Amino acid sequence: MSVPAKLSDVEPRFFTRAQWASFLLPTLVLALVLPLLNAALPAEHLLRPSDFTLNLYGKYATYAVLALGVDLLWGYLGILSLGQALFFALGGYAFGMHLLLMIGKDGQYKSDLPDYMVFLGYKALPAHWEPFYSFSFAAAAVLIVPALIAFVFGWLAFRSRIKGVYLSILTQALTYAAALLFFRNDFGFGGNNGFTDFKRVLGADLNSPDTRRGLYVASVLLLAGVFLLYRWLTRAKFGHLMQAIRDGENRVLFSGYATARYKLFVFVLVAAITGVAGALYVPQVGIINPSEMTPEKSLEAVVWVAVGGRGTLLGPILGALFVNALKSWATRAAPELWLYIIGGLFIVVVLFLPGGLISLPAKFRSFWVKLRSKAPAAESLAAGH
Amino acid sequence: MLRFLLTLFYGFALWAGCAVAAESAPAVAPGRAQLLAALLAPPAEQVAAIRGLVGVEDAAITPALTAWRAGELYLVPLPDGSRVPATLAPAPNGGEQLVALSVLDGTAIPDPAAAPGSATPLLIAPKSLKPLDTTAPLRRAMRDVLEVAGVADPSPSVRRESIERLGQSRKPEHLPLLQARLVIEKSPVVRTALADAIAFIQLADSSHTVRLAAIAALGEAHSLAAASRFKELLAATPPPPPDETAALTAALKKIESHWKTVNFFGDLFRGLSAGSVLLLIALGLAITFGLMGVINMAHGELMVVGAYSTFVVQNLFVSVFGATSTAFHFYFIAALPVAFVAAALVGLALERGIIQFLYKRPLESLLATWGVSLALQQTFRLVFGPANVQINAPAWLQGSAALNDVLFAYNRLFVIGFAALVVFGVWLALNRTSLGLLVRAVMQNRQMASCIGVRATRVNMCTFAFGSGLAGLAGACLSQLGNVGPGMGQLHIIDSFMVVVSGGVGNVLGSVVASLGIGTVDQLLQPILGAVIGKVLVPFAIILFLQWRPGGLFPTRSRSLD
Repeated sequence: MSVPAKLSDVEPRFFTRAQWASFLLPTLVLALVLPLLNAALPAEHLLRPSDFTLNLYGKYATYAVLALGVDLLWGYLGILSLGQALFFALGGYAFGMHLLLMIGKDGQYKSDLPDYMVFLGYKALPAHWEPFYSFSFAAAAVLIVPALIAFVFGWLAFRSRIKGVYLSILTQALTYAAALLFFRNDFGFGGNNGFTDFKRVLGADLNSPDTRRGLYVASVLLLAGVFLLYRWLTRAKFGHLMQAIRDGENRVLFSGYATARYKLFVFVLVAAITGVAGALYVPQVGIINPSEMTPEKSLEAVVWVAVGGRGTLLGPILGALFVNALKSWATRAAPELWLYIIGGLFIVVVLFLPGGLISLPAKFRSFWVKLRSKAPAAESLAAGH
Repeated sequence: MLRFLLTLFYGFALWAGCAVAAESAPAVAPGRAQLLAALLAPPAEQVAAIRGLVGVEDAAITPALTAWRAGELYLVPLPDGSRVPATLAPAPNGGEQLVALSVLDGTAIPDPAAAPGSATPLLIAPKSLKPLDTTAPLRRAMRDVLEVAGVADPSPSVRRESIERLGQSRKPEHLPLLQARLVIEKSPVVRTALADAIAFIQLADSSHTVRLAAIAALGEAHSLAAASRFKELLAATPPPPPDETAALTAALKKIESHWKTVNFFGDLFRGLSAGSVLLLIALGLAITFGLMGVINMAHGELMVVGAYSTFVVQNLFVSVFGATSTAFHFYFIAALPVAFVAAALVGLALERGIIQFLYKRPLESLLATWGVSLALQQTFRLVFGPANVQINAPAWLQGSAALNDVLFAYNRLFVIGFAALVVFGVWLALNRTSLGLLVRAVMQNRQMASCIGVRATRVNMCTFAFGSGLAGLAGACLSQLGNVGPGMGQLHIIDSFMVVVSGGVGNVLGSVVASLGIGTVDQLLQPILGAVIGKVLVPFAIILFLQWRPGGLFPTRSRSLD
């Protein structure tokens, strides 16, 4: 792998004091100050972040969790999974089922059944939908369903030592197959249109600013928590092992570690956490449909990580923010150029900036050092003559 | 005034000339004469005259009677006193006037007053003519004639359709007509249809033996329509006599087992052709992947380059030779090398521009080529538009051959044959040429090959271009089977990745077995489980398969361990 991991890179301490500060400060601003400003200040105030902005940031936070998962697998473990969007969407679907049932009789058809079921001529709620009336069941499903799929797939794949591009292609095929399945009306999850038109969550109106603010805060806190968790994982001995598997799986295997189990554990853990991100994503954007689990979405998440800088935990977050901000700008300013931009980003990052945006300061620094060390040499040469 | 007189004179002269010509020409076809006689007969004799048209062979009968029955037939009087049966249509140059289209030959009646030789149609003021009268008995007679008119139609396919319809209507009064036709009918397809229709009507015959014979005949003929009729008869109350019930059940079983076999072979054939398509796509992929360990995510787009090249060549042929010329039908032959070269050039640029820097980083080359695929898709969209483009199959790829009720579409047959040819060509190129030797050497051990003087860089370049060219060929072939649009590459690419993974890397035989297997299994599962489930199951099946053979069907043997 191209990103070298030296053990000396890995600091023994979880966070230095300065790092704690630089972690807590943005978290506080995002999770406390912005929502407070949004709630307290009058609508036209200059300093007040708009409801739209908060909603957008909340969406980006869930994307960043997805990106962190891709990074943990790719940057630390060497597994390029092209199926992470599937876990994101599965979490979204599981929570979407609960949200859909919470609409109650307020749907278009004023029926107990969700709108699309009425439309497709269902007579009664299918049995596997019943438990989703319970919030805690839905929340558990958000974790368990992606984890279960990841476990079955990962167990089979890692057991037979499928790795590298093979694994990437199989994960891609997995999410492609799932998308095809969810696109079908008779699969029972709303087909093409998926779930939408949600009304309330935990009794709170989804359209009220308070609920939306709450969802935003939850997303930011999730991101912060996942960041800490991954930080802890990668700093522990476990993290060393992950990177060792990335750089030379056979050597780790021959040293007596059951690498398949490590890989499976991380794969399942990341799938479950990605599912939670998906579940928070759905009420904020108000829709979940099968296009969220296409291979393209997974690859987009990989771009975020590649652009931000893989093998670091800050990089994917920056990448998710940067690429999505770029996307929302480009799709408005020059929609026909967007595919060129993202395609070009892929090529440029892979060819010229394997470390991503996060490696830029170090590059500039070394460039600066080189420049400084050259300049006196030239001077002394000139003085000698 | 003088001019008017002159025109009249010329018109007269023209008409006279026509009349003379008509008299000297061979006599009007007997059917045509009979039709004219019926149209012009006095009302009292018309019913009998129309009924006399049953079984008469003439193309004009159906349009004439259809128009008459609908009250749209006019008798256009000509200056010589004759009347031509015609329908009226708006004049092509607009205006209020109407032109008269003769029902006898479908052309506009020329203006007798116009200059001789000019094709000025006769113009008729609207409402100046009254449609030919119809009465209830007349319309009934016409309906009966029209019902059986198709039986004598010159076109065999029309004959066959109308005969089948008559059989379905199960009216015993059609029996004599059908039997009479069977004596003179020559086309074997129509003869089969006639026999089926006669047997179908005879199912309700009063004679027990005739009924039994009809049941047996229909069972022999594997008629699908008969199968549903048999089911109705078996379910009827009171049930048919026991020996008839037994005959019906036996015939039904025969028909059903026949169609089961036909469908199975049809699915098998479609699976084989789908597998051939996959094979064409995956072959190039297997070669590039085998050599470089790079999965080229833009491979699908290279295929689209081939498909669009076909489109461009087609348009070139249309503009040079015209769309109806014979030469047009050979555009596809010309398009194949063009598609190969175009895709190979794009592949070459891709290898030189990006992939050559990433040989040691396969995962990242996967990402970079995905970026290329996005950019190419957008380029197709900007150049050729977001909608699918129209590609017309040449005449020799249209239609299908039927063998024992199994249909073999020519384009699918072509794809199968072409895939076989390409596989053979690739095998030859890899095993019988010096470049192939170098390619295999680099595949097995790049460093060793470089050490003994193989220019690995150049071999990589050539191999990648070759694999890309194969993708172009696949695209050209696919343009004859499905839609060509900017997103076409994404449609098949995941399946062809599956082929490469399960077939084993860089192995022609593995790709052949895997693609034919995946294509056939997918097609055979479709009628049982529905269209998408096959595609959904394939990746799972492959994962399970890789449990058993982790290196694919035919793994490359090597002692190296990363």
